[in-house]
Amino acid sequence: MKASLPILALSFAALGFAAFDTTSKLPSVEKVNFDRDVMPIIGQKCFKCHGPDVTKAAAGLRLDSAKEATRDLGGGSAIVPGNPEKSFMIQRITAQSPAMRMPPSDSGVKELSAEQIQTLRTWIAQGAKYEKHWSYIPPEMPSLPVVSNPNWCKNPIDNLVLSKLDQSHLKPEPEADNETLAMRASQTLTGLPPSPELLEAFRKDKLPGAYERFVDRLLASPAYGEHQARYWMDAVRYADTHGLQLDNERGIYPYRDWVVRAYNKDLPFDKFVTYQLAGDLLPHPTTEQLVATGYVRSNLTSNEGGAIEEEFLARNTFDRVDTTSTIFLGLTVQCAKCHDHKYDPISQKDYYGMYAFFDSTKDKALDDNILLPAPVVKAATEEDTARINALKLAQARIRASVNLIQAEQYLTEHRHPVPSSKYWEQSPVYAEKSFDEAYAKVEPAEPGQTSDVAWKPIAFEVGKDQANLIGKDNASIYVRGTVTFATAQKFTFGVSSDDAVKVWLNGKLIHANKASRGVDQAIDQVTGEFLAGDNQLVVKLINGISTDGLNIRLIDPTDQLIQDTCAAYKSNPTDPAKIQNLQTVFLEHGPKSANASHYQEAAKELKQIEDAIPMSLIAQEMDTPRPTYVLQRGQYDQKGDRVERHIPKALGELPKGAHLDRLGLAQWFVSPSNPLVARVFVNRIWQQHFGMGLVKTADDFGSQGEWPLNQPLLDYLAVSFEKNGWSVKKLNRMIVTSAAFRQSSRITPEKLTKDPENRLISRGPRFRLDAEVIRDKALMAGGLLVKELGGHGFKPYQPDGLWEGTSDPASSTHFYVRDHDKNIYRRSLYLFWKRTAPPPAMITFDAPLRDTCTVRRSVTNTPLQALTSMNEPSFLEASRTMAQRLLAHPGTDIQRIHLAYDLTLGRKPRPNELPIINRMLASFRKRYQSQPSDAKKLLAVGDAPTAKNISPPEQASWMLICSTLMNTNDFLTLH
Amino acid sequence: MDAHLLDPDEYKRLPDPTLTMDPIHEAEWMMTRRQLFGRATLGLGTAALSRLLAVGGLGSIASLANAFGDQSHGGLQGIPNFAPKAKRVIYLFMSGGPSQLDLWDYKPKLNDLFNTDLPDQIRRGQRITTMTSGQTRFPIAPSRYKFNHYDNNDTGLHVSELLPYTAEVVKELCVVKSMWTEAINHDPATTFIQTGSQNPGRPCMGSWLSYGLGSMNENLPTYVVLHSKVSSNKPNQAVYPRLWGSGFLPSEYQGVALRSQGDPVLYLNDPNGMDRKTRRTMLNGVDALNNQELNAFGDPEIAARIKQYELAFRLQSSVPDLMDLSKESKETFELYGKDAHEPGTFAANCLLARRMVERGVRFIQIFHRGWDLHSNLTGDLPSQTKDVDQGCAALIKDLKRTGLLDETLVVWAGEFGRTVYCQGPLSKENYGRDHHPRAFTIWMAGGGVKPGFVYGQTDDFGYNIVDRDGVAIDPSAEKFTPGAVHVHDLHATILNQLGIDHTKLTYHYQGRDFRLTDVSGHVVKELLA
Repeated sequence: MKASLPILALSFAALGFAAFDTTSKLPSVEKVNFDRDVMPIIGQKCFKCHGPDVTKAAAGLRLDSAKEATRDLGGGSAIVPGNPEKSFMIQRITAQSPAMRMPPSDSGVKELSAEQIQTLRTWIAQGAKYEKHWSYIPPEMPSLPVVSNPNWCKNPIDNLVLSKLDQSHLKPEPEADNETLAMRASQTLTGLPPSPELLEAFRKDKLPGAYERFVDRLLASPAYGEHQARYWMDAVRYADTHGLQLDNERGIYPYRDWVVRAYNKDLPFDKFVTYQLAGDLLPHPTTEQLVATGYVRSNLTSNEGGAIEEEFLARNTFDRVDTTSTIFLGLTVQCAKCHDHKYDPISQKDYYGMYAFFDSTKDKALDDNILLPAPVVKAATEEDTARINALKLAQARIRASVNLIQAEQYLTEHRHPVPSSKYWEQSPVYAEKSFDEAYAKVEPAEPGQTSDVAWKPIAFEVGKDQANLIGKDNASIYVRGTVTFATAQKFTFGVSSDDAVKVWLNGKLIHANKASRGVDQAIDQVTGEFLAGDNQLVVKLINGISTDGLNIRLIDPTDQLIQDTCAAYKSNPTDPAKIQNLQTVFLEHGPKSANASHYQEAAKELKQIEDAIPMSLIAQEMDTPRPTYVLQRGQYDQKGDRVERHIPKALGELPKGAHLDRLGLAQWFVSPSNPLVARVFVNRIWQQHFGMGLVKTADDFGSQGEWPLNQPLLDYLAVSFEKNGWSVKKLNRMIVTSAAFRQSSRITPEKLTKDPENRLISRGPRFRLDAEVIRDKALMAGGLLVKELGGHGFKPYQPDGLWEGTSDPASSTHFYVRDHDKNIYRRSLYLFWKRTAPPPAMITFDAPLRDTCTVRRSVTNTPLQALTSMNEPSFLEASRTMAQRLLAHPGTDIQRIHLAYDLTLGRKPRPNELPIINRMLASFRKRYQSQPSDAKKLLAVGDAPTAKNISPPEQASWMLICSTLMNTNDFLTLH
Repeated sequence: MDAHLLDPDEYKRLPDPTLTMDPIHEAEWMMTRRQLFGRATLGLGTAALSRLLAVGGLGSIASLANAFGDQSHGGLQGIPNFAPKAKRVIYLFMSGGPSQLDLWDYKPKLNDLFNTDLPDQIRRGQRITTMTSGQTRFPIAPSRYKFNHYDNNDTGLHVSELLPYTAEVVKELCVVKSMWTEAINHDPATTFIQTGSQNPGRPCMGSWLSYGLGSMNENLPTYVVLHSKVSSNKPNQAVYPRLWGSGFLPSEYQGVALRSQGDPVLYLNDPNGMDRKTRRTMLNGVDALNNQELNAFGDPEIAARIKQYELAFRLQSSVPDLMDLSKESKETFELYGKDAHEPGTFAANCLLARRMVERGVRFIQIFHRGWDLHSNLTGDLPSQTKDVDQGCAALIKDLKRTGLLDETLVVWAGEFGRTVYCQGPLSKENYGRDHHPRAFTIWMAGGGVKPGFVYGQTDDFGYNIVDRDGVAIDPSAEKFTPGAVHVHDLHATILNQLGIDHTKLTYHYQGRDFRLTDVSGHVVKELLA
């Protein structure tokens, strides 16, 4: 171990671990904590008669506060701090006489155990302090405990873990092997096994600190942000639909993608929190800060017929308050909607004080059932914006090089020719039985027909809408005119029509569009080879029902633009805007040059970027906040007292100078005086790595929640998180590089008894992977996983009828139309999430529905999961393509089995495993060689191409080997 | 070298995993696996040992038993504690809190008290939900439904006109009118009656029974949950997996929900080109690999996973067989009604429950939602009762005629009752009722409970449980209060019928022996035949 000391020093320093107070020693007697140790005893044994309920205070005694408990009862008091024997309480609970002994035998309350009595004695001896609930007291840097084996400790986490193990007389497990560690760290940090390149680098790195370097590469990989974001999506109940009634699609995925980017660039958590809660309230918010406020808009919404706006305002706001409270404070506050909280110091007034922060955003409470209920923002990412700015700058530079006089001269001289036209006539109206017939039928007026047609001259003005030429449904009319050019040329002009249109030039059909539309809805670009002199143009207009109209735009739009631009410039040659327009037109429509082509390329890319930027829901504060009232019984129409924005009194105060709005709330969340936010978050990060938080009830840090088994460790993580600049990456790094995390996950009989759930961290983590990780791993093993970041939610294979069977036919998400090509192989984070019917494979593996905040998933183990990983098409397809990968690899069966283990489990097969695989392979081969048609059927799963050069029986046999490995406990488990 | 790993010679003695399993081969395979388990568990503490045996036993010893014709698989040593009256339970759960006053608890005197205030001496300052606690008045809402008197084996029973079918089987019912609970809101109350605790995290009753008694048919889940379609389109209280979850018990004891729409179980079918033999071969491989891992790492979860794959394989044939109603007779469909033809209806689920009972499923729970009628009660209640009435009666008749009722305990219950006073607008025709935990009605049938019997009574307002003299009693959770049945008492009684002393079916967790009935619960002997 000594050899590793320098690295330790290095890693301590690099992470900026806060210094420990090493002077304090462990007290000889464990300090009794009122909240943890005493409260449960007196609550259970005494409060029935001596609790806070004044009407029940027997003998006038209450034990729920120091003042009451130490009050002189005449001749002494129930509790004499420092003197257990003089305390009536101890005397009575230890009384020999049953008549004297508390609790009374007829109270239905069981006697105190000797241990409980001792706890009360010790507490009184130690001063009988009544204390606040632990989580409401801000964390402090704990002192470094003395541990049995300081050499084991790689960072302070380990001292704090080992101290607990020492107390339980347990020893840590030895460090897991490198292969296991690589899989473990990669999966808890990125949700994927390490890439072959990363793994190879790690295997080759024989220098001290190789594991830390490996971890740093994982932290730097984009998959890190995706995996971290997935937990956040559970918490904020992110989904791609509104959630209620119609459950229509909602445009908010740029928010999800922002979270991914924020984690990837390690946006400090205080900013991460502030942007989401209040990005709109920051001075001059950036687009990203606005997109981040999608957090506030992630609540479920509806626009059900008959729904009352005010009622839904209350519902939406409740949802926001409850979610915010669980995510940041770890408190379940819902009950305070209706009454003061029974266990935690949240009064009803406090609840509505929090509510008032969230009830004054500009979005309508009812979502109009639309994709983008306002306010929304065009969600350019920082990368988008940077590229746009760079392109615009490049364009400006090129423009500056344009000589204005030359440009104007050139443009004037090189005007595009514009034809003249004359002799406009129209045919009679031809009515038919249907639009189809009217469109298809060759009427007498059509070019090439010989019949006489009574053409009638009309005053047809080029470039102007001609309405009601037909005036009948399912009918057509022909319009013709003579168009004259000085020279022969190819010329493009525009035709708008209501509805369909056909165009002939000099007897030749040059355009047809069977459209159903209004005349103002589109301009068809029609190109024809015009002759010098007169040309005959014939246009057939076909009307479906109702109005009709035609507009023949025999103007060259570019020419128009050039003319207008030059004229404007000449009218005011010093106007910068007009100068810029002239430069632009010159570069885009002037002579060919290197500059011009650079300019045009930039313009093209700009358009592509702009077109690809999606819109996203954001929060915006109303100019004047709504007045807020206590809603009695949580009823929107039962207004009680007016309430001002405030945070629960028992939890502290807003920082000085903080605005009384969401921004102020965010500032309080991340202020050092906040007792909860850092603890709650680090606990969840710990949970990600160990499968269980240090506070098991990650969603409840209130008095009904579980006491942290190792509060010093929790507090250390919380305090150092803040001291390390709220760096989530550093927090993650500290945990995965600890000796605690690196232990083998083997369970010895002793530990199964003493530490069955690994609460003491007496071994490495071991828990079933989350749904998303399992699917992504399978796709990765199959070589299918597409690692593109972000974008619209995708729809993979899904059994028929899952959406249609449960949704309203009017819903925009009624029909499930699955995606194709690479889209279906994206990471599960990007699955299109319809709240009322989420992806079934995810739900089977315990993903939450995303209709409430979830910070702790349940982990179950069911036959339905087995059926999913065996039979769900994505898994089968991945095993098929993985088999193709193996077979593309030259080598023996044994070599391929090794590769298969590498791809799925990231390790070599154990000697005992090889014969099992070999026998299976032999059996599968026998089976499919005798029935190759079955092999073909088995391989016919999924869209990915099948290898044509390998015999189907061989592919099928290996496919089942791959499927077998994907169904092992090893594959499904983090360990 | 890990001491738990098999040495190579031992490995060679393993049967070929690719053998297609006939029962004898399977027995051999499992036998060897049991040796593996035995080896893996050597040196484990006794608690862990019994747990591993319970877990592993379901896959190994149990299968052996299967091969040799034994009946029960898994379960705990010493459980049942005594000869059971019932082998299995069908629990019909009416989620939302059905109105006992409109269905079972006949209160004719209320008709004269329409729109009068609930007397303070009746309410006695008891807590009421925040949904009605703000009301200035608590006006009496008499039931608008007619109650008819039916003979049972006792003094007879009044049943609401909304339950004509159930009324036909009152001679089989053991009706408890004095059920009470401590919780007043849905989530805690439902969690309470399902798990014995208002807070999440405890195993539900079905999980306790799976854990204690094990399975009677390894080819189907021990504990099956069915969700029923609700005809009324009003929104209704959600039910969620925690209600059929195994809490701190190993996860294999959780209920398995069969889908009421589409495929009964998603991804049940193997892909084209794979026959059962091939699947078996593959699963034997998965199994063998997982056993290697179990030996190496000793994590009981691995044993649970092995079990789940085995169960998955069996589900693939047993579920289609179970769901196939084509061989049910015309008479049977007449008994259950037209609804039974439509998968997912309560009636169809009742018929499925009977089929599961025949196949030895230990605990079947059918959820029916939509009973939370705070307003427009008379608009919605008839549709609720129509959904369930015929199915309930048919199930009892069907079990009776097939001789299964004696050993099958049927339970009909919600999480609480509803108030006598009106919530919202009141007219003689329509009203709403809030949650009422102080007294509500449930019934049981078969499984050794007294048929045609009524237990407990309430005051003239259906508000308080009263003794025989009509004096209100304050029941206590800790002490048995004759005449009243607490949720823990119901649990204790159900366990008793299954041969379990509720104080002895425990699981040690976080320093404490937990049980379904927490620290109380009493068998209500008066209910037993």
